[in-house]
Amino acid sequence: MIQLVKKRGIEMGITIENVAKKFPKVEAIKDLSLKVNSHEIMGLIGPSGSGKTTLIRIVTGALHADRGEVRIDDTKVPDMALFPRLGFMPQSDALYPDLTGYDNLLFFGRLFGLKGERLKARVEEMLGFIGLTEDGNRLVSRYSGGMKKRLSLIIALLHDPEYLLLDEPTVGIDPVLRKKIWDHFRALAEQGKTLVISTHVMDEAEHCDRVALLYRGGILAAGTIPELKAKTSSGQIEELFFALGGEAA
Amino acid sequence: MMAVAIRIFKQLLNDKRSLVLVMVVPLVVMTFLFFIFGDSGYIPKLGVVDINPAISASLEADTVELTQLTSVDNSLLEDGTLDAILYMDSGKLVILMLEMDSTKVQLVTGAVSAAIKAVFPAADMLQVDYIYGTEAETTFESLGHILLGVFAFFFVFLIAGVSFVRERTLGTMERFLLSPIRRSSVVLGFLFGFGLFAVIQSVLMVVFVEYVLGLHFASSIIPVLLIMVLFAFVAVALGSLVSTFAENEFQVAQFIPIIIVPQILLSGMIPIDLIPLGLGNLAYVCPVYYACDALDALMTRGVDIVQVLPQAAILLGFVGLLFFGNTLLLKNFRTI
Repeated sequence: MIQLVKKRGIEMGITIENVAKKFPKVEAIKDLSLKVNSHEIMGLIGPSGSGKTTLIRIVTGALHADRGEVRIDDTKVPDMALFPRLGFMPQSDALYPDLTGYDNLLFFGRLFGLKGERLKARVEEMLGFIGLTEDGNRLVSRYSGGMKKRLSLIIALLHDPEYLLLDEPTVGIDPVLRKKIWDHFRALAEQGKTLVISTHVMDEAEHCDRVALLYRGGILAAGTIPELKAKTSSGQIEELFFALGGEAA
Repeated sequence: MMAVAIRIFKQLLNDKRSLVLVMVVPLVVMTFLFFIFGDSGYIPKLGVVDINPAISASLEADTVELTQLTSVDNSLLEDGTLDAILYMDSGKLVILMLEMDSTKVQLVTGAVSAAIKAVFPAADMLQVDYIYGTEAETTFESLGHILLGVFAFFFVFLIAGVSFVRERTLGTMERFLLSPIRRSSVVLGFLFGFGLFAVIQSVLMVVFVEYVLGLHFASSIIPVLLIMVLFAFVAVALGSLVSTFAENEFQVAQFIPIIIVPQILLSGMIPIDLIPLGLGNLAYVCPVYYACDALDALMTRGVDIVQVLPQAAILLGFVGLLFFGNTLLLKNFRTI
């Protein structure tokens, strides 16, 4: 298991401490604490409505928690200095349908200070990586669901951020490309990036260094895949939802 | 800031419907109004009962279709055969009409008084002169400045409001605010992106009105454009401000009767000192009043650009105020 990385005495990674968030009708997150080490892939796994999206939005700073705090490398969220270092992919396709895929990328790239030839080269590179080179000049309104998802993913990766917060990045993407994307995530982690990836597909948990099982706004269990499997009788992580979730309910 | 402005400009270019709405619709509606309010050359139908033959001869020579009647017959007015009946009642000349209809009343009384004038030049005691404009000015010409102002405002308001709401419902607003861009730069980007469009729209409208519809401009085009663009900036800022209180595009449209209609009524179309209960004073808080006032001064009185600087400054003040409000409202998306 990857150890907590310290650099010059500064705590690295993402620290979520006693975070709670209530919406008018639901308690989305209940007193949740979680530590994401730097250089690791943390998977957030849970059924829909378990609070994955809310948690990710709180970590990005898009949503203000009612209680508790989130720190990224000792800096409390939100902070202007953190934004260039974060890459966020929301669950919904937050894209401009009346722009081409290429122009969508140019816009987000410019926001992060990329420009000129460097921006163009990077955009081409990412379009190539995700297999959208041919469709770069088509309007996003003409894209299929999977293509939008892919475009949305490379927008988050465009400015090469240290921290990636990806909300269900592989939904609707075919298995071959999905494998390629997970290989890329692994390569990013090896380069020293930190990734938080939510999914409701159990198979994807296998690609993560550690996973946190979310259920009704709290964490049922967190740890490496072998650690979690050891807690079950069948070796199936799903079992934990029934065993622990059943008690909680 | 430029990133946002460029993006908005590209979006509008790709959105052909909105493009047509902003660029072509004002021209079409203007043309329509030009014909509706223009000089139709209508000849009023007048019946006369026992009138001085010199007067009726003069009326006939003038722009009136004359019918000699033996008695005052209301049914001819009721069924629309005649517009008015002229008769003598104990030494007074009476014009009887079906109902108050300002345009026809004007035509008939104009023709009758011209006829009297021709026959009895001595009776010509009252003459109305205008410092600016002429009697021959059509309704369209006297309302031209208000039309330009209102159109510059209306379509930009709608497009900006809708695009702001869309940005919220799509989640792109939340997403792009998670970048190092300052909130004020976002608002400025919106202003300039739509502002550039407003410039093109204003140029099109002014050129069209002056050269195609032949509306006479007493001043040069540049200050007119300046006021229109400034006013369009107010529209962008107001559109994005009110869209904060709308959940979807349809709710933006619901702001039209609340924000736009009262503004049109207070634009100076109805002289504000004629509005009862001092409600006309509300015009002083409406940007449209200053815009139309400045456009009127430029287009009909041909004043120098310096004389509309106060109105321009007030419009700029509105932009500043709304800019500040929008920047604050973005805190809903990002607290810093």
